[in-house]
Amino acid sequence: MRRVAVTGLGVVSPIGVGGDAFWDSLEAGRSGIGRISRFDCTTFTAQLAAEVKTSLDVPDEIAEVAAQDPKVGFAYAACAEALAGAGMRGLTRDCLLHLGTSLEVFDLSRVIRQGQPDFRAVFDRPSGNKRLGFQMPLDTAAAMIAETLGAPGQSLTNCSACAAGAQAIGHGFRNVRRGKWEIAVCGGFDSLINPLGVGGFQLLGALTTDNDRGETACRPFDASRSGVVLGEGAAVFVLEPLEKAVAEGRRVLAEVCGYGSTLDAYNLSAPDPGGEGAERSMMSALADAGLEPEAIGHINAHGTGTRLNDQVEAGAIRRVFRNCWPRIPVSATKSVTGHLIAAAGAVEMAACLLALIRNRIPPNPSLTRVGEGCELAHATGKAIPFDGEYALSNSFGFGGQNATLILRRYDGQH
Amino acid sequence: MKRSDVAVTGIGLVTPLGLTARDSVRAWESGCAAPKREVKELGGTSLAGAEVGALPEMDAAARLGERRMLKYMSDAAVIGCIAAREATTDANVRRRFAPERVGLYAGTGLAGAGVKESDSMIRESIGEDGAFSCRLLGSRGLPKTNPLLSFKILANMPACIVSILESVKGPNLLFTPWEGQTGAALAEAWEAVALGEVDCALAGAADYPCHPATYVFLRQRGFLRDGEYPSPAAAYLVLERAERAARDGQRVHAEIGEMEAADCGGSSFDPLAPRMGRSFAAAPAVLTALACLTDVAAPASVCGADGLAFRAVVRRLP
Repeated sequence: MRRVAVTGLGVVSPIGVGGDAFWDSLEAGRSGIGRISRFDCTTFTAQLAAEVKTSLDVPDEIAEVAAQDPKVGFAYAACAEALAGAGMRGLTRDCLLHLGTSLEVFDLSRVIRQGQPDFRAVFDRPSGNKRLGFQMPLDTAAAMIAETLGAPGQSLTNCSACAAGAQAIGHGFRNVRRGKWEIAVCGGFDSLINPLGVGGFQLLGALTTDNDRGETACRPFDASRSGVVLGEGAAVFVLEPLEKAVAEGRRVLAEVCGYGSTLDAYNLSAPDPGGEGAERSMMSALADAGLEPEAIGHINAHGTGTRLNDQVEAGAIRRVFRNCWPRIPVSATKSVTGHLIAAAGAVEMAACLLALIRNRIPPNPSLTRVGEGCELAHATGKAIPFDGEYALSNSFGFGGQNATLILRRYDGQH
Repeated sequence: MKRSDVAVTGIGLVTPLGLTARDSVRAWESGCAAPKREVKELGGTSLAGAEVGALPEMDAAARLGERRMLKYMSDAAVIGCIAAREATTDANVRRRFAPERVGLYAGTGLAGAGVKESDSMIRESIGEDGAFSCRLLGSRGLPKTNPLLSFKILANMPACIVSILESVKGPNLLFTPWEGQTGAALAEAWEAVALGEVDCALAGAADYPCHPATYVFLRQRGFLRDGEYPSPAAAYLVLERAERAARDGQRVHAEIGEMEAADCGGSSFDPLAPRMGRSFAAAPAVLTALACLTDVAAPASVCGADGLAFRAVVRRLP
């Protein structure tokens, strides 16, 4: 089977747009979390989020749609950066485009008629833009990317919640490795920072209401962690056969070498307290890469900042990595980006990739006192040096979907 | 990598023609068309009299042997779970396979069906000026909302509930929201079984595109042509290697020689539409199920609203 190289990376995140800006903030531990500015949330119990505040360079037709559904703009910008980085002018017929996302945006103001909820209002007020309306299908971004950046050979929209971005990358990796596709442009994009997105998660009790804590409110693995802070953004990767990338003179950023996906089949909103699904996800990725746990030099945890999730993940990591876990530094990107839901796995793989390139492991800056059961070799305080060969990224989704990716430092050998 | 022959050993169907595979096939073979109901909420517009496919009355709790999970489930999730239960029972999945070796590959449709829960939330969020207010949503709307709303609108939930109820713990992929995406999920399932990545794949989809707002959306965007109507449907298939089915003495409905999703470059085409309405994400799974069960089936191919065509090469066994 073929080795798979990453030759392009695009990132849109609350802590920076573009791979370099994202890394600079991540390495410095700068948080993107603050009061929600996108809508009036003063009567919501959860008032924090990590918003993308940088304006994006996108075509007018994308900008118009992104005004209602910002994640469409994030997907386009990340995709454009990734393609440019790989030296591609656009998508081509030998490309698989596979992007993960989670929830349609519903414009609730469009279903009010004469002061009452009435779905005839949707009919009364058709939008001038055919893509704008009460609801926007999840394949909108993929369709608009194809219209503006070129048509891929196949376009897939993955909807596996918090595991969607990682699944899309894993699927793209496997298809390039087995020779089904020559290029996979894959990743995740998302934004739930809208009234129904924040309101829905607030109702579930998943979000922190520790609003006064501001930029340090998302506290993965900390004893005082109190819940998720929603974030938004996108990360997209260009994957292609290593041999071909090298032969054609493209810069190889890293290799993708392992992927695993499992289901908890336990509960919709909580992980299996035994962590068995998470454990199998990591074991499956290690087996796929042909690695023993000892080979891993860095773990980017899913680390949501919720009581149960962090404890379960830490336990699963300790079981998988047995007696070597105390020497594997663990970071938790959500401490500064918030939870990007379907984009989380992709943005966190970008963090792993940049850690391999920059030889540094970013910190989990809001971790000051490790919570009970969360004991791991946490990277706290400042970024630390990293010379390991492999980095592993976990994504464990709402609904019980798990995905793990493993990246390898590219050593110039092929 | 060596590919093995893939057998279909379990089928579950919920369609307007019937609430089981047997009932749906019987009605299909006899030439019946789906019963329809009017979308009353669209009265007073030029869409007055609009119709959607209607399912027969059913007792979901009895079919699933489960009442607690129903409160988490959208309409699409309910019919998807019923179809999945029929398929796994048909193939004796729980008795024959380790849950970790069973994969789940599914398509899911537009989330519009779940927003019927939002009526009281919106009502409470309308200010004196008659407009929607975020402040009122926070103070009055959300407290009046079903706290489980997110479970009903997140796109992965219908399939995740299937995984919980059927104890499926293996690899998984979920795609949305049109026919071609489900076709890609089915093709992934077929390939995963053929290549031995899983011992068994539960593959299918559920869609319930009948909410009034969804109906308007489908019409305005041209996804429904004149004479077409949306319809709820769900279908799940159990795929496994033919040699394993033979070894276990498991009945085989059909063998799948190939499954693929590829760019169709043309307008959408759904052979079920004239008699069953358009069930969008569910259509490829329904078509494949019918092709496995009856010679009166339409060809197992569909060109989706997403420009992806799905095709299955099915050899039905007597």
